[in-house]
Amino acid sequence: MLHRTCAQQPDILSAVAAGRERETLVAAHLTACPSCREQADAISWMHRLADAPEPSRPLPDPGVIWWKGQLLRRWQAERVASAPIERMHWVELVAGCACLVVFLVWQWRGLSTLVSRAIPAGVAAMSTAAPPSNPLVLVLVLCGTATVGAMVLAGLHRMLYRSHL
Amino acid sequence: MVGQAATLDVEDVGAHTQADARPELLTESEFQDLYRLHARPLWAYLYRLTGNTADADDLLQEAYCRLLAIPFATRDDRELRAYLFRVATNAATDLWRRGGRGTRRSEPLTSESAVSPDHGDGAALKHDMSRTFRDLKPQERMLLWLAHVEGFAHPEIAEALGLKAASVPVLLFRARRKLAALLRKKGYGPGER
Repeated sequence: MLHRTCAQQPDILSAVAAGRERETLVAAHLTACPSCREQADAISWMHRLADAPEPSRPLPDPGVIWWKGQLLRRWQAERVASAPIERMHWVELVAGCACLVVFLVWQWRGLSTLVSRAIPAGVAAMSTAAPPSNPLVLVLVLCGTATVGAMVLAGLHRMLYRSHL
Repeated sequence: MVGQAATLDVEDVGAHTQADARPELLTESEFQDLYRLHARPLWAYLYRLTGNTADADDLLQEAYCRLLAIPFATRDDRELRAYLFRVATNAATDLWRRGGRGTRRSEPLTSESAVSPDHGDGAALKHDMSRTFRDLKPQERMLLWLAHVEGFAHPEIAEALGLKAASVPVLLFRARRKLAALLRKKGYGPGER
C-alpha cells in the first residue's frame, strides 16, 4: 500500500514537527490537503501528549540502580567464570564412566574371583557354575563400583569448584 | 522534551570519544549524568507505553541495570540514549509477552476522564489523552513516541523496535492515520491541535 498520498507530505510533516504549522504556506497546504492535515493532527497531538503533566512521582533512586547494576554485573561475571567448571562437570562424568568400563573389562576375571570369595557359599557356587556372566554378580559389581566412582567424582568436583571460588 | 535528543549539555558524557575504542564500563559519575539527562524522558516513554507507574519504574531500572552491565566503546550521548530506549522497549515488549500486564495493570482512570475533552478541566483532558493513546497498539505507541516526542530518526526507530528501516515510514504513516481517526472519534477537532 502506498503510505503517502501527497508529494509534499515529508516537508509538511517536518515543518509541523518543528512547530512551524502556522506558517502561511504550511497552513495553506494543511487546509487544502486532508491527508497531510490528518497526519499533522496526529503529530501535534503527540506533542501535546508529551507536554501533558505526568503523575508527580519521584524517579527510582539512581544510587539503588547503580548498586543493583553492580550486583548484576558481578553475577554475570561469576556465571561466565563458572561456565567452564559447569562444562567440566559433564566431562568428568563421561570420563569417569569410561574409566569404569575400561577397568571392568580389564579386571573382569580378577573381580569375579574376588566377589566369589566374598559372598556366601551358595551364591559362590552359582557364580562358579556360570562364570563370568552371572547377572547378580554383574549387577553387584557394577552398582558398587559406580557408587564408589560417583562419590569420588562428586568429591573431586566439589574440591575443584571450591578452589576456583 | 521534544528535540532534546540532539543536545549534549554534560561535559562528562561525550568526554570519551570514538577514538577511545576499548569498551569500558560506565563510571558512577557517567551513570549519574546519563540518569539525570535521560531518566525522566525514558520514564515518561515507559509510562505512556504501559500506563502504569510501577511498571515504568521497573522497566526504567532494568534498562539502566543492563546499561551498567555492558562495557561501551563509546560515550556518545546519542548512542547511549538510543541504547537505553532500545533496551527499555525490549523490556516492555517482554513484559507484554509474559502476560499482557500492560493492558491488565493499567492504572484506573478517574471519573473525571468521562468528561468530554471539550468541556472538562486539565486533569480530565490529560486522562482522556492517556486513554486515547492506550487505545493504540503497543508498537504504534512506541513508533509515535519515539518519532514525534523523542525525535528518533527512522533507522534508530527500526533498531529499537527490531524493524526494517524501510518499513518504519509506512508503519508511522498508518499509526498517525489511526491516531487521527481516534482523535476524530473522541471529538478532538483540528482546533485541538
